[in-house]
Amino acid sequence: MGLFKDKSSSRGRGLTLFKEVKEALKAEKILKVSGYEVKLAAPPPSLRKGCDLAIEVDLMGQAGVERVLRQNGVEFDRIVSIDTEELEPLRVVKVTDFGDSMMVRAGNMKVAFEKATGIILNVSGGGCPDVPYLHLELLNKKITEAPRPCELGFTLCALMLDRALDEGVRIYEEARG
Amino acid sequence: MKPHPLAGALLIAGTVPIKDFPLLLGKAEREGDFLLVDGQRIPCTQGTAAMVTAAVAALDYLNLDPPMALLAGDVGEGRGSRAIYDFLSRELREFSPKVLSLHYLLPIITPMKKVISAVQGCNPRPVLIADAGSMYAAKAAGLATEFDVFTPDAGEMAFLADSEATHPAYIKRYLFEADSKEVPRLIGQAYGCGNAAQTLLVKGVVDYIARNGEILETVREPDVPQMEAIGGTGDTITGLVSAFLQAGLEPHEAAIIAAKANRMAGKYANPTPATRITEIIARFPEAFKDHLCEWSGVCTVESRLRPATGGARQGGEA
Repeated sequence: MGLFKDKSSSRGRGLTLFKEVKEALKAEKILKVSGYEVKLAAPPPSLRKGCDLAIEVDLMGQAGVERVLRQNGVEFDRIVSIDTEELEPLRVVKVTDFGDSMMVRAGNMKVAFEKATGIILNVSGGGCPDVPYLHLELLNKKITEAPRPCELGFTLCALMLDRALDEGVRIYEEARG
Repeated sequence: MKPHPLAGALLIAGTVPIKDFPLLLGKAEREGDFLLVDGQRIPCTQGTAAMVTAAVAALDYLNLDPPMALLAGDVGEGRGSRAIYDFLSRELREFSPKVLSLHYLLPIITPMKKVISAVQGCNPRPVLIADAGSMYAAKAAGLATEFDVFTPDAGEMAFLADSEATHPAYIKRYLFEADSKEVPRLIGQAYGCGNAAQTLLVKGVVDYIARNGEILETVREPDVPQMEAIGGTGDTITGLVSAFLQAGLEPHEAAIIAAKANRMAGKYANPTPATRITEIIARFPEAFKDHLCEWSGVCTVESRLRPATGGARQGGEA
């Protein structure tokens, strides 16, 4: 599919970490077949999880990479950033209460839902091409039944929207006891 | 040499969330809740469609030619984005738009570098705007200073202020947690590390308009907090900035008036978090009619809001 290929730049790259070498080799093969440009690399000692092989990927496509690995039964530990202080995407969220509805923000993505029904009222923020698509797919669905952005999207925006949705589900379910 | 028939236009480039939608370049119009480009109907939802439709509304009100839209379908896998990057890299020098606005594109560095190289080859060089994924790509590629205007929201401002991050998902936690009062500090940091366009319009509880590190103006009213939840309200601001630049305003003027107009249209729509972006766009003509004269200082298209060469339409008045 030719996804996320960018040969001349090493910025925005990440490492997929594994516990076993055979999983790393399997992942490399599957990701290449799926159109991702990846290469085997040695993780720094501080990140090793029992395996001295990792796979370098473009972080922008992190949601898609994780999905391909999960769908093919590849066991991986996590994906970390190579060139930023923060190894993993933000896990912290912010919540805004509008009275009848709530908005949850994770990174650059926001989801608003009605408190009484859990219906998703709006999706905002973000800048990747899957965001308007996810907006249409999530709108008017119940937050507990909506499709997962990380299952439909490809990018880091999709991953952050998934985290916002996760928190929204937690808030909605907690309020309903 | 005879100029390209599209020279001097406002060109907005970005993806639309329709898989297999082909690469399309054409005049943009509005048809109800749809954007119409070269006969193709596109739902006006969050993203490039909202941005283009806002620009259509503003240029129509100003009695100027509608924007040109360069669109391609992309649901995140990157094909449409690459088609747009490739087209711009190849054709832009021939086209030479007056204003080029880059919007929802997969943030990939090398193709963005090629587009900027093509921009540098244009004569005259277009006014260059980026928002959304294009802004992420510009920053990650170290090309922010090539741009005339960025329109980040507060979270994206933190991304621009983070010298390392290549996407807002990977910003430092303390920057994400910064509240709106800290936006001026983030603006200073972004300019300090060369990650800001010459003019920034930072969208948020308070809109900040900055130029080369200096905050020129803040826009606080009307205050409509629900707008943050509505998908597309940031896109419409960028569409308005693009239109006002096309009309001849300076970048900071275009940013200030766009911020005011977006808020006023939001107020007129009396929104809730469930409001759709088309309901706000529908209020732009009313907001322009009531306030554009007051905001821009003069009240006719001819005296201040200059049309692009050959861009003025016949008839009508602003």
